[in-house]
Amino acid sequence: MDEKSIMPELEQVFRKVFNNESLIISREMSANDVDGWNSLNHMILVSEVEKAFSIRLKLKDLNKMHNVGDMIDIILSKL
Amino acid sequence: MVFTSLNFLLFFPLLAIVYYITPGKFRWITLLVASYFFYINIKPAFALLVSGVTLSTYIFTRLIDKAGTESGKKTLMVINIVLILLPLFFFKYFAVINNGILSLLDSYKVRWPLPEIKLLLPVGISFYTFMAIGYTVDVSNEEIKSEKNIGIVALFLSFFPLILSGPIERANNMLPQFKKQINIDFALITQGVKLMLWGYFMKLVVADRIGIYVDAVYGNIGQHNGTSLVLASMLYSIQLYADFGGYSLIAIGTAKILGIDVMQNFKRPFFATSMSEFWRRWHISLISWLTDYVYTPLSFTFRRFNIWGIVFAIMITFLISGIWHGAGLTFIIWGLIQGSFLSIEALTNKRRTLFQTKHNLNKRIWYIVLSCIVTFVLFSASMVFGRAKDLNDALMVYSKIFSGIIHIPYRDGYTMLYSFIGFTILMLKEFRDEYYPDHFLLFENKNVIIRWLSYYAVIFMILYFGVFGQEKFIYFQY
Repeated sequence: MDEKSIMPELEQVFRKVFNNESLIISREMSANDVDGWNSLNHMILVSEVEKAFSIRLKLKDLNKMHNVGDMIDIILSKL
Repeated sequence: MVFTSLNFLLFFPLLAIVYYITPGKFRWITLLVASYFFYINIKPAFALLVSGVTLSTYIFTRLIDKAGTESGKKTLMVINIVLILLPLFFFKYFAVINNGILSLLDSYKVRWPLPEIKLLLPVGISFYTFMAIGYTVDVSNEEIKSEKNIGIVALFLSFFPLILSGPIERANNMLPQFKKQINIDFALITQGVKLMLWGYFMKLVVADRIGIYVDAVYGNIGQHNGTSLVLASMLYSIQLYADFGGYSLIAIGTAKILGIDVMQNFKRPFFATSMSEFWRRWHISLISWLTDYVYTPLSFTFRRFNIWGIVFAIMITFLISGIWHGAGLTFIIWGLIQGSFLSIEALTNKRRTLFQTKHNLNKRIWYIVLSCIVTFVLFSASMVFGRAKDLNDALMVYSKIFSGIIHIPYRDGYTMLYSFIGFTILMLKEFRDEYYPDHFLLFENKNVIIRWLSYYAVIFMILYFGVFGQEKFIYFQY
């Protein structure tokens, strides 16, 4: 799988977690750019990402996730 | 040596001169010697503890870096954390637990052969121990490399602006700064002096003045009515902010004058519209530390329980925050109350956000003001457990407050007037910083006359309205 193929699904996860149907994600997007992306929703987001892609993240991966781009790279490395 | 002592006002300018005269690559040595001198000046024996924590942390972080396996790294990390927590537990909690058991046994008429223990808490131990733990975990997680020079690690854990009460800094911010060549920058020095000046205003004019009223009421709860206790409890929140916020600004300003950038510790907490926002603005260095090293690993571990896993992580995090503040039952309750506030907000987060968006509440002034007031009142109510000397006193405060009768509060005209003036000036500045950051500038005004007039006005207020002779900050006890 490549970045293009996971983007639509990842976007759906973001829309569901942040309750925003028009949310469009990009690699550079970070917590500062999305309403409600706080430490509370971050963990829900991580959990939903794991479910959506059937992957298991490590705490170490979490520390490396500074933006959507990092998240995509980590997901791709697990698929 | 305390920031508000005359000794410090003599020591610091002298140190700054010696520091900048020292050739660049030896400056860290000047800072290290000065930091130990500063700390030894409080009590020489305390320096032994910080050097013990430093030595252990240095050895173990070096070993962690060399360990080949992840489990090896984790084991070494845990050993160091346990070792450096021992002195903290011994000095902070052993006496309380021992004396608690003693009095419990006593109440059942059982005698215990150990004597009652009274230990002097080494000031700053809770702060540098947390910094050392953070550094150890970061090395173990391979987020930073361990530092080869033990002197730099020693400076990180003893850096005098931070050693007494933080901010609880991180190795990845501080270590590179201590190692790089720092050139004299007069703009930074000016910024540092301004921060210190405002810090002294907050501490001497606002905190210590309000403290007179709070101490009078809380020092003799039995003699005061519920209305006085409501007033004193609200005032205590303001006193604590001005005291610890003032301390933090002096610490950050002191470091800045030496060319070292330290993280912000408070961000206008009384403009928070919810408790979770409040905790993103209050004692930021502790909360971000707890978030990174306690809340995140816990909520990650329990993520399959969704929101309930998060609630559990919040409760444990704030329980630890309470215990960090003190060993007594009052602090445990205080932590659990904060945890409950945040858990309720977490559980209602989605519904509240939808409701606020639907009615456009976040843009309505009345709603913002009301939310700020509710947050402030909730925090002040919980701080009764932080201020009362024991559980009985705290319960007496609540029973008097909720007696339902409004009395005339205790009056101390002079203290109340000066407190009001100081608090109003502080809040006007905070209001400007929050909503109009580029307007009505005083310290930062381009006009040199306005700038200097405002410096003199603040110095005048400190000298005229300030309370001198206290030489202590509330957070030294934690």
